[in-house]
Amino acid sequence: MTINDFLNEKKKYVELSDFDSHFFDDIANRSKILTCIQCGTCTASCESGRWTALKTRIIIRKLILGDLSVLKDPDIWLCTTCYNCYERCPRDVKPTDVIIDLRNYASKLGNIHPVHRKVVDFLKATGHAVPINDKIKQMRKELDMEEIPPTLYKFKDEENSELTKYAKELFNLVPPKDEKEEVKDKGKKV
Amino acid sequence: MVQEKKYAFYLGCIMPNRYPAIEKSTRYVMEKIGYELLDMERAGCCPAPGVLRSFDKEDWMVAAARNICIAEKMDVDLLTVCNGCFGTLQEVNTQLHENEELRERVNLKLKLLGDYEFKGTIEVKHVAALLSIDIGPTEIQEHLVRRVNATTAIHYGCHFLKPSQVRQIDSPEDPTILEDFVEALGIKSLNFKQKYTCCGAGGGIKAAYADTSMTILSEKMKHISDVNPDFILDVCPFCHLQFESGQDWLKKNHDINYDIPVFHLSQITAYCMGMEERYMGLQYQNNGKKYELIPIEVQTND
Ligand code: SF4
Ligand code: SF4
Repeated sequence: MTINDFLNEKKKYVELSDFDSHFFDDIANRSKILTCIQCGTCTASCESGRWTALKTRIIIRKLILGDLSVLKDPDIWLCTTCYNCYERCPRDVKPTDVIIDLRNYASKLGNIHPVHRKVVDFLKATGHAVPINDKIKQMRKELDMEEIPPTLYKFKDEENSELTKYAKELFNLVPPKDEKEEVKDKGKKV
Repeated sequence: MVQEKKYAFYLGCIMPNRYPAIEKSTRYVMEKIGYELLDMERAGCCPAPGVLRSFDKEDWMVAAARNICIAEKMDVDLLTVCNGCFGTLQEVNTQLHENEELRERVNLKLKLLGDYEFKGTIEVKHVAALLSIDIGPTEIQEHLVRRVNATTAIHYGCHFLKPSQVRQIDSPEDPTILEDFVEALGIKSLNFKQKYTCCGAGGGIKAAYADTSMTILSEKMKHISDVNPDFILDVCPFCHLQFESGQDWLKKNHDINYDIPVFHLSQITAYCMGMEERYMGLQYQNNGKKYELIPIEVQTND
């Protein structure tokens, strides 16, 4: 989905400082999320929150209220997906999945860390989030293994290669904010 | 029914591209217990359940389904060696199995990637579950040529057991399967503080917020070093990478040199089954290079 499809679907241009109680209407597990009793078990169990500003209970509260600032909040990117909160939440809110959903929304608004964009670049170029290198090829040889494992990367130069299709169809990220504004400006001039 | 005693061997990224010795060891173990591993040609990243799922859940699912389809076409269950790959592939396999509407949507997009259609005919298996439950600590003894006289700090990691309603392997709060299994290899598992906490690598933090990731790991390492184990034992190449790079980071930034070796369950099991020690690959790792395994030969019938 492009950013415009996404915003159209939401029927209006969203200013991210706003509240919009309907913004998250289509979030998965919404009826369960609304039953959150703000007990704080998620925050208390949080592997990341012990060290960071991530407060899982507050993230859930903001979502329920439709506080869209949560989509700009870097804290949602500090979850390690350890699933402690998911296991222990007494209302089956599945906070880990909620955070992933919020990251999906944030990504559609272009809010993605530059380092994460690089991971996607690796994926598109090699089929791997962590690609092979010369040192490892040598190591594999010394261990009497095939130098290059038989993954997408090995077959990348085939005619009509699957890696090309993969890179074309998947994880087409919305460009970062400033680039996007440039595009918009160009549009205006035309 | 899929073919028995065979698995489609799903490699993922970190195992083949950073710790090939874990791949080597897994191949060795599987052959010894009588399974054939089939190559999954053109498989891709699982994709990672923390970082890549965060950008677009549906694309994540499509890419995962593509990997599952490769195994379906081979008519065998899929074997993974990594908690992250397991997390993704087992979850997507389960969701697409249960949710027809989702399956149709994913299948539509799969067509754009090649000749793929998710049918829901196979299971996704983690090698640690295969060894510790399906084979188990009793049967494994028939395959050992030596045991190891050692103590270890076991690290289950997160995605192997959680979310438990999807995984259905062991209790995530108080698991025992790995402790029971390594005991059969002669290894004593040590209790330590906050044993079941996260290594801090997941969720895309290691890439984007390295300091936070390392802070979480540092606490973990402190508790591990308190009980002075001979090695750390994990079941995930990503946790493995975190324990290795984390110890390097502590050396560099805080002058703390734990120098504790890190083994994946496959490596130590392969060694006990007779694999040459050099194939365990400790020489390529950064920590615990000087550690010497103390083998206890097992009397065999042949
Ligand atoms: S544990 Fe569940 S019910 Fe309690 S605050 Fe967190 S999300 Fe809400
Ligand atoms: S899954 Fe994320 S939010 Fe939940 S406890 Fe773990 S780190 Fe915290």
